[in-house]
Amino acid sequence: MSTLHVISHSPFGDNRLSSCLCLLGPNDGLLLCGDAVYALQPGSEPLKTLQAHNLEQRLFALAEDLQARAINSDAVNAVDYPAFVALSLHYDKVNSWL
Amino acid sequence: MKFAIAVFSPGHAPSSRRALLFAQAALAGGHEIVRLFFYQDGVHSASGNIVTPQDEFDVPAHWRAFVTEHALDAVVCIAAALRRGVLNEEEAARYQRNAVNLPAPWDLSGLGQLHEAAQTADRLVCFGGD
Repeated sequence: MSTLHVISHSPFGDNRLSSCLCLLGPNDGLLLCGDAVYALQPGSEPLKTLQAHNLEQRLFALAEDLQARAINSDAVNAVDYPAFVALSLHYDKVNSWL
Repeated sequence: MKFAIAVFSPGHAPSSRRALLFAQAALAGGHEIVRLFFYQDGVHSASGNIVTPQDEFDVPAHWRAFVTEHALDAVVCIAAALRRGVLNEEEAARYQRNAVNLPAPWDLSGLGQLHEAAQTADRLVCFGGD
C-alpha cells in the first residue's frame, strides 16, 4: 500500500513537512504545491531535510507553483495537472495534509 | 478510474483553484468524478452571492459552469453551509431567513455523502488550506 502525500503549506509556517517525512513510507511519494514549494528554496533548511531523505524520483512539485515563486530546482520532478492526476492513480491513496 | 474530490477551502483560496484544475484534468484524461463534496469553508464556492474582482480568476463561477456542463454530482455539506449562511430555498424557509444563495446545480446534503463517495471512488482527493 503506497500513499501520495500532498502538502500545500509553507514549511516555514508549521511542521507539516517534517511530520509528513516522519510518516513517509519507502514506497510513498510527496507532492509539494502552493507555498509548500518554498521547501525547495536553495540553501534552505527544508531543502536540506528533503535531500537527506533521498526521495529522488518520489519527490514532485506542481510546475505552476514553482514558476509562480521563481523556484528552479533539479531536486524535484515538476508536474502539471494531468501528471498530478496520473500520480494520484499511481499511488494507492492520496493523503492531503490539509 | 473513479475520483471523489473534496474541497475544504473557499473559492478565493489557491487550493480551491487547484481542486478545480485537478477535476478538469481528471475528466479530460477520460476519468470519472463520482462526486464533488464541498465541506467546511468550501461551501462558500457554492454561494450565488460571490463577487470575484474582475481581474481575478473567478473560481466559484468556474465551479458552477464545470458542474453544470458535465452534470456532476456536487454536494454541499448542509451543516457547514447553514453555519456559513449558505442556504437553499428549503433551508431559508425552515429557519426563516430572508436570503437564498444556493442556486442550482448544487445539492445540500450530509457528511454521509462524502463517506459514500470515498467508498464508491477509486481515489478520494482532498483540497484545502492555502
